[in-house]
Amino acid sequence: MTTSANKDKNIGFPLNIKSTIPKHRQELLKWNGWGYKDSQFVYQDGKVHFTGKRYPIGEQPLPHLIGYVTETMGVDLNIQSIERDPPKEFDYPEPNIPQNVFELLKSLEIPYSVKIMDRVTRAHGQTLNDVFILKNGQFKRIPDVVVWPESHDDVVKLVKFGNENNLVIIPYGGGTSVSGAVECPQDEDRPIISLDTSQMNRILWLDKENLVACCESGIIGQDLERELSKLGFTTGHEPDSYEFSSLGGWVATRASGMKKNTYGNIEDIVVHVKMVTPRGVLQKNCQAPRMSCGPDFNHVIMGSEGSLGVITEVIIKIRPLPACRKYGSLVFPDFESGIKCMREVAKQRCQPASIRLMDNDQFKLGMILKPAASYFGIILDGIKHFYITTIKGFNIDKMCVMTLLFEGQEKDVKISEQKIYSIGEMFGGVPAGEKNGERGYMLTFVIAYIRDLGLKYQIVAESFETSVPWDRAVTLVQNVKYLISRDCKNFGITHFVINSRVTQTYDAGCVIYFYLGFNYSNISDPVSVHHQLEEKARDEIIACGGSISHHHGVGKLRTKWYTDTVSRVGADLLVATKKELDPNNVFATNNFLTFSTKSKL
Amino acid sequence: MSAKKFEDLLEPRRRELSNYFYINRALNPQVAVQISPRPSPQSHQEAVLNSKKISELVTEISQKQNVKREEIVKQLRLILEEIGYKKNLQVIRYLGYLLTKIFLKVSTGVYVNHQGISQIKSQMGKCPVVFVPTHRSYADFIVFSYVMFAYDIEIPAIAAGMDFQGMMGMGEMLRNTGAFFMRRSYNDDSLYWSAFKEYVNQLVSKGDLPLEFFIEGTRSRSNKSIVPKYGLFNMILKSFFLSQVPDILFVPVNVSYDRILEESLFAFELLGIPKPKESTSGFFKSLTILKESFGNIYFNFGEPISTRSFFQHKSQHSFGSIHLHETSEEEKKLIPPLAYEIIRRQQLCTVVTYTNLISLILSKNLTRGQQYTGFEQLGVEIGMWKQILQSWGATIFEKDVGEAIRECLKVQQKLLHCDENGNIGLVTNKISVGKLNPSKLKAHVLSEDTISYSVPFIMLQLYANPILHYFVDAALIVIVLRSFGKMIKDELFKHYCTLRAIFSYEFVLLESWFKMRFEDALLKLKQEKIISLHQNGLYYDVFENKYFEEVLISSVQPFLLSYYVVTVVLETVSEMVDEKTILVNVQSVLENALRENKIFIHPYCLTLDTLGNCLMSLAKNNIVKKTRRNNINVYDVNREAVRKLKANLEIYIPAFHVIKSFDMFLHLKSKI
Ligand SMILES: Cc1cc2nc3c(=O)[nH]c(=O)nc-3n(C[C@H](O)[C@H](O)[C@H](O)COP(=O)(O)OP(=O)(O)OC[C@H]3O[C@@H](n4cnc5c(N)ncnc54)[C@H](O)[C@@H]3O)c2cc1C
Repeated sequence: MTTSANKDKNIGFPLNIKSTIPKHRQELLKWNGWGYKDSQFVYQDGKVHFTGKRYPIGEQPLPHLIGYVTETMGVDLNIQSIERDPPKEFDYPEPNIPQNVFELLKSLEIPYSVKIMDRVTRAHGQTLNDVFILKNGQFKRIPDVVVWPESHDDVVKLVKFGNENNLVIIPYGGGTSVSGAVECPQDEDRPIISLDTSQMNRILWLDKENLVACCESGIIGQDLERELSKLGFTTGHEPDSYEFSSLGGWVATRASGMKKNTYGNIEDIVVHVKMVTPRGVLQKNCQAPRMSCGPDFNHVIMGSEGSLGVITEVIIKIRPLPACRKYGSLVFPDFESGIKCMREVAKQRCQPASIRLMDNDQFKLGMILKPAASYFGIILDGIKHFYITTIKGFNIDKMCVMTLLFEGQEKDVKISEQKIYSIGEMFGGVPAGEKNGERGYMLTFVIAYIRDLGLKYQIVAESFETSVPWDRAVTLVQNVKYLISRDCKNFGITHFVINSRVTQTYDAGCVIYFYLGFNYSNISDPVSVHHQLEEKARDEIIACGGSISHHHGVGKLRTKWYTDTVSRVGADLLVATKKELDPNNVFATNNFLTFSTKSKL
Repeated sequence: MSAKKFEDLLEPRRRELSNYFYINRALNPQVAVQISPRPSPQSHQEAVLNSKKISELVTEISQKQNVKREEIVKQLRLILEEIGYKKNLQVIRYLGYLLTKIFLKVSTGVYVNHQGISQIKSQMGKCPVVFVPTHRSYADFIVFSYVMFAYDIEIPAIAAGMDFQGMMGMGEMLRNTGAFFMRRSYNDDSLYWSAFKEYVNQLVSKGDLPLEFFIEGTRSRSNKSIVPKYGLFNMILKSFFLSQVPDILFVPVNVSYDRILEESLFAFELLGIPKPKESTSGFFKSLTILKESFGNIYFNFGEPISTRSFFQHKSQHSFGSIHLHETSEEEKKLIPPLAYEIIRRQQLCTVVTYTNLISLILSKNLTRGQQYTGFEQLGVEIGMWKQILQSWGATIFEKDVGEAIRECLKVQQKLLHCDENGNIGLVTNKISVGKLNPSKLKAHVLSEDTISYSVPFIMLQLYANPILHYFVDAALIVIVLRSFGKMIKDELFKHYCTLRAIFSYEFVLLESWFKMRFEDALLKLKQEKIISLHQNGLYYDVFENKYFEEVLISSVQPFLLSYYVVTVVLETVSEMVDEKTILVNVQSVLENALRENKIFIHPYCLTLDTLGNCLMSLAKNNIVKKTRRNNINVYDVNREAVRKLKANLEIYIPAFHVIKSFDMFLHLKSKI
């Protein structure tokens, strides 16, 4: 059974794609931070601006940012920390791989590299810890060799090779993991191979009848969308990292896209998936839309975080491109009213493609990133500042904004808009125009770049998220904020930010996304402090009825809560699955649980 | 610690020409939680009606009893009217004015540790804050609010008993300053209690006022701590356990008085003489008090206790509608240690006054048969105690000793007098109570002689009681050593524990803290040379500080005696016995002993408070089993256990016959 069965009938397929991201990623992307090299916040001649033209915010002065970072975050712009240079070959140990094994690897004729930059680039994801180490230190363990398989068959060979030679394989997609999942286990003494899927990025075939496409797992979001849109389709799967993250990564982490209301989360989009394990290939025999056939093993593959095998090919749903796409926004007098509105929208199941609610702090951050000179004038364009604050009596320090994205037929979008705005009105919401909505979504891509600026001026920051039943959402946010504020003080932190937004709605609850950053000029181990704060926050989240994670995954950062989350029996079940699929622990990621590294052969 | 720690609220009031401007000054009171829009008394009541819990209950009742929802909602509104607090700034200012005038007339000072209150004020705004003052007088309510008014903190929503409602005008006045009312009777009106619980839940989780409640549940008639009551405390904590609030700060506060408004009332009540109903006329009668002097009032605000830090671990309420959740059984088990901790901190905040020391010393001297204490001698002893207590970490309210004694004599002129030679003793007056109806009494029909003799002693003891917690553990150790002779530490600890457990209601303490208190007391005893170590540090024995030993033993003597007599009585009465019979018997045995007048017996041992504590402790230790029948307490006596306890206590009272038992004290006297 092969998923490339109908490739002959599919003219133009398999479609080879020239990825935006080069094979040696560091040529285009920052080696020690987020995103494109040419895109970053810089402070120059007393002004901050964002470089490049990739994002609408680029090349315009951002006059409000300086006041914010100096006052709210206590930054001294004259003190800039020095970041280390890219590592040289001698900075890390030689690849730990026996010569004979290395020869065998070469004989597979799969592209590989042992160059230091290739190895370091694949030693990490995008956690605060990762980036901090890149800028200031050194990883304890990096992959010994990077391989670029070009097809499912290459992967089959590699996995067999790894299994037979007592090696470790860590799948690497886009490297956007924020759970430590892609990092090397620190005390692994077997050779570690980083299996970079980026060169397996073809669209193998497309089935317009059934609206599915079969893709190789290394394809990254922006390439996939670009190519599909040329053909008049979209997957509609848009995690905020979709410029860089890969289809395989989405499946492996159970990713969630911004527009899941219309298109579904990855588990709704995946129809069929192939995973290469040391025991063979796990897959189903058809692309039927749903089956009653015992436990669905797609769900063993989804969320496996690289610890059971390599996902190679995925059949996903595609949709015709929407005729109309429209942004929108509403402002609410306070967070609670906003949540009530979201709850009502979810109750009526009339969510547009995306509906998000930013709290007051995020709302203000949005204003701060305005290029314009006047602070308020444009933020509330479409409606007048005067109207909101004076007539409606909103308090600038309480109000928050809901951003909306509608997709579909023009008339459906219109109806949907009307519906949402009338529900909004029920909860004191006031429409605040398309621009604000659009900006809100644009900013989610740009905000990821801010951390690099912060780290230059002694600010550490990271996000964490959760999902929670509706009736516990408000208190969860309130308690986490309280706790962080209190504990920041206990740690001696004087300047910090803790803000939140509701990013998704479900029938039974919602997703809450927190952003925590602080000035660490007087803190000796900021990453560990951040980690401790996050740990306390997560304890509280769980006590409040929230989950371990909605979409970031468990990785190595959240193992503490894994067993409690799934029960002892559940954890044992995972161990058993692992033993069955990967008895030698080739995929020794140490995600979820620490499986014994020394295999019982 | 010096008196500077305290700030007299009356000082500036005394200096100004008129208090009008002070009372009408602009206020910007600090709230407990910043919420906008601000909740109002009305919005809280509406929120209760709209809560999931209440609406489900209404549905249930309306279906079960086949009545319209509106009917039940109407009932609920009435209930909420009865419960709910109000805020009327006019009334607050008016009361503030009235109180300023009253204080200026009858008090010498209202002292507050300003640092404590500024500390808590600076922490307010982020999570619920609950003030937990000691409760020694009705005045607590209103004086507390006055202090809040003075420091510009929102006057708390105060949990008050319904008996205030009975006082015409008083109840509504208090309500307008923020009091909310809780029925006392143990009725099982589920509609009422559901509404009340939900109301409290609203105040904690959605309110912005601080809360205030008395964890002891009622005014302590004895002027010492009472074991915590959990009803309201549980309700308050629910919000925390359900994660409706991130934390709750409990602020222990010690409120004490140089002279308690109700002192004589309490003395009678303690003897079992019925207390006049707390009616408005009674209250206004107490306004004739305006001619008298009540000395100082002291407020000592302790460090806030963070519930979150105290519990460390928080359980989950992850399933089902959170609004229908209740505190789990597991969580309930966590509550007592926090309650006891609050009481412990209230005790730590005790402001030791010279009045307390004078009472302690006079009481000791009376016990040893010395009716009068010379002015000079008193001064010397006070000085000594001051030093010792200070070294134990107590907060002493310092003054010039001579002046303090004179002040005390003035304030306590109904109780103490000083003759021209400077000899200080109790005032004795013939008290006539008229004909008492035995069936209306709680206990024995004491003779007027007994009452007249006892009341001053009891009143005196009321002012020694607040500082007994500094002595009791040391006293028990000394008594054990005195009775058994030297012993090794482990054995000493065992005896201590047995006694301590029996007194765990009398001198509030959690069992898990025995060890700590024991070690602490040993250390103090060694420091003061009351006990010493023998034979290579193996054995403990009583040492040379006879004076100190005497104070210690006399401080717990009345309690020990009461408890012993209770066991004597329980051995003789029938196995199923009602509470009153026990009390009557105990009091009558003790009254006879008092009458014989052979040796000194402290009349405090007659007090129903102590006897009540004893019965609760016996029940807790499974020596009796308490049940309630037709509204009276009935005890099922475990004879064997009683005998054992009696034998145990007897060791400390070296003769089984009650009268002879006082040999111990003779014995003591002879040694001094
Ligand atoms: C700025 C930013 C925004 C983000 N926004 C979102 C969001 O909106 N929604 C969301 O869900 N996530 C989001 N993430 C998290 C991250 O992008 C996702 O977890 C993503 O799915 C990871 O994909 P990747 O290709 O980068 O995987 P990687 O980071 O390379 O790997 C992640 C894990 O998957 C495993 N893995 C990767 N490819 C394969 C494969 N082919 N076979 C088996 N295992 C594999 C790896 O071993 C690792 O354990 C965001 C991250 C960042 C930094």
